Formats: sequence, structure tokens, C-alpha cells
Amino acid sequence: MFLQTLITGLSIGGIYALMAVGYSLVFSVLNFSNFAHGAVIMLGAYVGLALATKLSLGFGLVLAGSIAGAGIIAVLNERLAYSSLRRRKAPSLYLMISAMGCAVFLENLVYATIGSRFYAFPEFFGRQIVTLGESSVSLLDVGAFVFALAAILGLHLFISRTRTGIAIRAGVSDMTMCSLMGVDLDRLISIVFLLAGGFAGVAGVFLGIKYLVYPTMGWVTNKAYIAAVIGGLGSLPGALAGGLILGVVETFVSVYISSVMRDVFSFTLLIAFLVLRPNGLLGRDSEEKV
Amino acid sequence: MKKSYLLIGTLLLFVLGGTAFAADPIRIGHTVSLTGGASMWGQSEANALDMLVKKINADGGVLGRQIEFVRYDNRNDAVESVNVAKRLVSDGVVAVIGPAQSGNAIATAPVLERAQIPMVVTTATNPYVTMDQRSGKVRPYAFRPCFIDPFQGTVAARFAVTDLKATKGAILYDVGSDYGQWLAKYFEEAFVEKGGKIVAKEAFRTDELDYRAQLGKMKDLAPDVIFIPTSQKEAAMAAKQARDLGLTAVLLGTDNWGSPDLIELGGSAIDGGYFVNLADLADPDIQDFVAEYKALYGAEPVLPNPVMAQDALLMIVEGIKKSGSTEGEKLADALANLKDLKVTSGVLTVNPEDHNPLDKPAVIQQVDVPNKTFKFVKKYISVE
Repeated sequence: MFLQTLITGLSIGGIYALMAVGYSLVFSVLNFSNFAHGAVIMLGAYVGLALATKLSLGFGLVLAGSIAGAGIIAVLNERLAYSSLRRRKAPSLYLMISAMGCAVFLENLVYATIGSRFYAFPEFFGRQIVTLGESSVSLLDVGAFVFALAAILGLHLFISRTRTGIAIRAGVSDMTMCSLMGVDLDRLISIVFLLAGGFAGVAGVFLGIKYLVYPTMGWVTNKAYIAAVIGGLGSLPGALAGGLILGVVETFVSVYISSVMRDVFSFTLLIAFLVLRPNGLLGRDSEEKV
Repeated sequence: MKKSYLLIGTLLLFVLGGTAFAADPIRIGHTVSLTGGASMWGQSEANALDMLVKKINADGGVLGRQIEFVRYDNRNDAVESVNVAKRLVSDGVVAVIGPAQSGNAIATAPVLERAQIPMVVTTATNPYVTMDQRSGKVRPYAFRPCFIDPFQGTVAARFAVTDLKATKGAILYDVGSDYGQWLAKYFEEAFVEKGGKIVAKEAFRTDELDYRAQLGKMKDLAPDVIFIPTSQKEAAMAAKQARDLGLTAVLLGTDNWGSPDLIELGGSAIDGGYFVNLADLADPDIQDFVAEYKALYGAEPVLPNPVMAQDALLMIVEGIKKSGSTEGEKLADALANLKDLKVTSGVLTVNPEDHNPLDKPAVIQQVDVPNKTFKFVKKYISVE
């Protein structure tokens, strides 16, 4: 039972990590918690669902389409709801409130246009199970886990090795200086949201396949937010570590203590980290984020 | 001379007015979810009632009066249901059909009780729809044609033990839902009484998506059957996750599974699962109704609501006939004492003690994913 619990926990944690990355990316640059991220994940899932059911595309194209769709939605979200606040140098609290408004708006837009029905993705891979001793896990979960790790590693390399990545890191430490050095800040921030949106698209498709697609599915990102805080908001390795830790802790609490107590633990963890270690496990000073 | 003309005139007016009054239609309220998540059933319920009332009116109506529906959308929401009930009271209806959901029905009952208007719900199976939870007394104006959850839980347990030959049972339920909690309890009691053993009883919170921790725990205990008294959404997710963990137990559900999108949401994982339902398209007793509905609306009725709504209307009509009145108190009294009434789903006798039907049938259906249908397995009239 221990091994099974660990495997289940890691597989849940992988999805948390994938979602937490989006929070951390935006936080590192703009220093606010983008609560609209969950809504972008939800829209990414609907984009993927439309491609899979209306156009009958295969998994690869569905994933690519969802990444592109959610990326564009995230950029539009920034342009329409955050950029003017940002230019007026509004406090980050305003940005956060605007983000919450966006989340509610997008959710209700889906209610009004698509409706409250639940949808499921078609079964892309059939039901294949990997067995490890007494424990089993679906092949899809293994795939999602590996893909999540690879994507986060890819993002890490992108940010540490490429010119754009260096520009993002420069923006993280000092935006004004960065723009004085000739970096186009609007373009830079759009790229950050495009990346965060892309991750939202991946998370949306995986969530949709594992669970179901419906307007309030984005609320599961509450957990991803906790993961991001545990790992240190703004830190990519932190988002990964936080996601995995939260997934494993939750599953062990469910199995060995009580499934009803699970969220009590998760949110206690959130409060404890905010009080005792606001920078999380891996978030150091703000200069070193991302 | 002039005076007598006036007198005759007045008398004439009275007579004419009187006839006009007698021909006034009898207004029956219908509170139903025409929009929202339960609209699929609500629309079908409204169709079935319109179909039946046309026939009753063509046959001369009741007490020489036609029947007319006053129908409002309660959006499957408890607050809205109360608003609808208040509107129906002010519209002067003599009885109300609906709501279909237990939570909405429990919210509606006190409003209609104060106004002394009898209500006959359609598919609300919770015991406290016709019983006041606080006082433990029967609600004098609440009735139903459908079975109640203790019966449903018992049927599920009996089917598991005798037909599936299950000895070890597990339960996965929503701790935030009255429906799930009570059914889990009724199933457990009946399963144990019939000689089975409950090896795991695991709960999850409403809106939770991942049950693998709970299901993983069950896996080591190797249950023969997992009872999942939830709606189709949770059932579909639980089925997928159980199969991913390599659990091979038979999945067993309740009437809330009975939605056509169960198959789409659960896919291959839900195939072969069984559940208890109130009515089945293949039930030989309702073939006339199904054929008539299909001929009129060009689609199959979305069961069980249309059948239960027709039963409710037939109960009210019989109650009015028996009491010879549309007065709330007399009508309620007649409803409480209905016996061997022929209704769409079969024959119905109301138990005056609790206002639930006696020996109301329950059907067991099996999910057949390749053919995208629910197969009729068997029908229980009683569990004795």
C-alpha cells in the first residue's frame, strides 16, 4: 500500500507542479498572484476538447492546439486586463484583484456560451496499466508525469540559456533598468504570459483527460497555488518540488489518516509556510527568482 | 315590473357566472428544472405531462373541469424552488407536481404546507421529503410516487449479494451530500444483514476530483463490489480511477447514475457497471407510454422523470375525483388513502403512515458502453 500511495501521490503532484509553474512564472516577473491562471487552464481544456471531438484530431495535435490556444488567451488576458494597470504602476494588489475578476468573468462566459455540462475527452490511448509489484498506475499518468518534468526542465533551460531567457531574468531583477538597456518590456511580458499560458494548455489537457471538462475545473488550481507557495513563489524548481510534495502529502493523509482531512492538511501547510517561511523552500531573495 | 326584470337579470347573471365558474380549469402547478444541469429530465417530464393532460381533458377532465398546468422553471436550485413555490401559491393552484430533486423538494415542502396545497414530487427519493426531519412526523401535504432511498439501498445490497454473489463490499461516497451519506448507510446495513461484509467505507468531499487515495486503500482489501451512490460525474471519474489502479470489482450505483452522459463520461471504465433506477425503457409495463411519447415528440423519453411525473398527475387526478373537491385538506386526505391506483409505472398504493408508495418497483440496469445504452437486468417489486 505504501508504494501505491507514493506512486499515486507523485502522479497527482506532477499535475500540481505543471499548474504551479504558471503561477510562479508570472509572479517572478510581475510580482502578483495571477488567479486567472485557473480559468486559462479551463479554457485550454475546452480548446483541446473542441479539437478532439469536433475535428477528431490525435493527441499530439490536440496538445499542440491547446498550448497555442491557452497561450494566446493568456497573452490577451494580460493585454486587456493587466497592461494598463502595469503602465500606471498600480500596486500588485490591484493586479491580483483584476486577475480574480478575470477568473470569474471567464468562468461565467463559459457557463453562458457553452453551458454547465460535463465533458470527457475521447480515450486516446485505451486503458493501459503499468504494474510495479502490487501497485499499478495507468500509462497515461506515467506519460503525463514524464512530460511535466520534461516541460519544466525545458522551460528552465530556456530561461537560463537563451537571449530571451536572459532578458526575462533581467526583467525579474529590475524592470526599469531592463527597459533602459533596450529590452521591449511589453514584448517580454507577453512572452512570459505566452509561456505560462502554454503550460496552462498542457495542464488543461491532462486534467481534462484524467478527470472531466467543466466550467469550474480551474478551481483545482487552488492546490497548485499552495504548491507554488510551498516551493517558493517565483521559483521554477520550487514549483516542481512544491507540487510533488503536496501531492504525496495529500495522498498519504488520505490513506493513513482520513480522506476528509486532506484539505485541512493542505491549507494548514499553506498557512504554515506563509507564516514561517514566506519565501518557500527554494525561493530565495527576489533577485534570484526564476 | 321593473323590479322583477332586475331580479331575473340578476338571477341570470348568477347562473351564467356559476356555469362559467364551474367550467374554470383546475390549475395544477408544475415546478421543474427546464434549464440547468437537470434540464434534460425536466423537459422530458414537461412533455410527458402535456401528453397525458391532453388525454385527460379530451376524456372530459376531472369533475367536469379541464386541467391546466402552471409551470415554472426552478433551475434545479433550492432557493429558486422556494420562489417558484411562492408564485404557485399566489397563482392559486390546487396541487403541485415536483420538484424532482430531494434538496429542492425539501425546501419546497414547508411553503406548500403552510398554504395547505398538496405536492406530489416526481423522483425525490430522500425520506425527509415526506417526513419532517425535526419532528419525525409525516408532512401532511407531501406525497410521492417513487421509491425512497432505504428501499433503493436495500435493493442494491440484495442484488449484490444474491445476483453478483458478492461477499466483500466497499463503499465510496460523497460526505457532503445527504443523498450519498444516507444511501451509504442503508446499503451497508442491508449488505451486512444479508451476510456480506463491508471491508472499506471511504468518503470524499464534494467537488473533489481524485479518489485514487481512497480506491488504492480498497485495492488491498479486494472487494467484490464497490457501491458508489453519487451522480454520473463522480461515478465516471471513480470508475476510471479504479480501473487505472487495477481494481476489478463490479461497480454498483444508484438512480443518480441514470443519465445518458454516464456512458460518454465514464467510457470503457464504466462498462458492465450496474445501478438501481426508477424506470427502464425496456420495462414491459411501460411500452405503451414509450411508444406514445416517441410518436409525439420524435425522441425517447429521458427516464425516469416522465414516468414518475405521469404517476404524480394520475395520483392528483384520482385524489380530486375521490374527494370530489379541489380543497387542499380534502385532497391531501384522499391522496394519503389512494389504493391500487393504475398508474403509468404500474399499480400504486400510498402508505398513509409516511406518504410513500407501497411496493414501488425498482429496476436494475447494466451499463453497456459499446451499444451506448443501459440494459434492463431485473425488476424488484419488494425486497422481502
